[in-house]
Amino acid sequence: MTVNDLVERFGLQVVAGNQGLDRQVEDGYCGDLLSEIMGNAPEGCAWLTIQGHQNIVAVAVLRNMAAIIVAGGQTLDDETQQKANQEGIPILLWPDSSYQLAGRLFSIGIGNARVQ
Amino acid sequence: MRELSLHILDIAENGITAGADCIHILVEEARTTDRLIIKITDNGQGMPTEKIKKLTAPFVSSLTTRRVGLGLALLAAAAERCDGRLTVKTGTGTGTEVGATFRYNHIDRAPMGDMASTITTLIIGNPQIDFVYTHIIDGEEFTLDTRELKAEMGNLSLTKPVVIYHLTASIRNSLGKLIAKNGQ
Repeated sequence: MTVNDLVERFGLQVVAGNQGLDRQVEDGYCGDLLSEIMGNAPEGCAWLTIQGHQNIVAVAVLRNMAAIIVAGGQTLDDETQQKANQEGIPILLWPDSSYQLAGRLFSIGIGNARVQ
Repeated sequence: MRELSLHILDIAENGITAGADCIHILVEEARTTDRLIIKITDNGQGMPTEKIKKLTAPFVSSLTTRRVGLGLALLAAAAERCDGRLTVKTGTGTGTEVGATFRYNHIDRAPMGDMASTITTLIIGNPQIDFVYTHIIDGEEFTLDTRELKAEMGNLSLTKPVVIYHLTASIRNSLGKLIAKNGQ
């Protein structure tokens, strides 16, 4: 499943990093404490967070993520958008909570290979 | 909290609840030495010193031990997460000084947030209280003192929308210049 598939399926708003929309989404991760994300987020994941400052792009690049999804109706700082465009990391907006979207992602098979 | 400016708003409101009529807000961004310092000083009634220890423990809350809510506990956690600390100097009748330090470049340091809106929000909500806001970036300083503004403006109220609009723009502009002056 690509980032663009998620955009279409859940009506996410693409606000940066259009050039990365064909990235494969292998897994999912939630969290807002950047040091923790940096240590634990899986490669190729879609990361759900409420943070909007530019460090999120640095963390996403470091973990080779598929996309950042900014949840909770939060918005991005201007610099975040610029950095994400430079790095080709898609940033998508979701108006409801991380929990609500994480449940939907899981139910379509993202990140549930490890459960059985 | 998602931004440091929200912590500042919260702590300043504690000062107002404590009966202060003047609140000093200092933000110092020392990027060359990797420190960020926030200090909020009020001239309110202060607190008895035996309360200080309890202030940052989030679960000792009761109305008798806690007048100020969770704000200090959250700010302490935010500072300590970034290799900094919280200090509170207070005593009955002496006002309160809350200081928080952070490592400027720590990955978990929350962004500064919108200081211009924070300061004008305080001014609009509390026209009878004076605010002195100082923001220093690598040694370059900007100060806004509502006592001076009120003296300059005579009978024109600081809370009028048009005044607030210009004030917000002026703070943003001044901070922008401080940042530009020091590169980055």
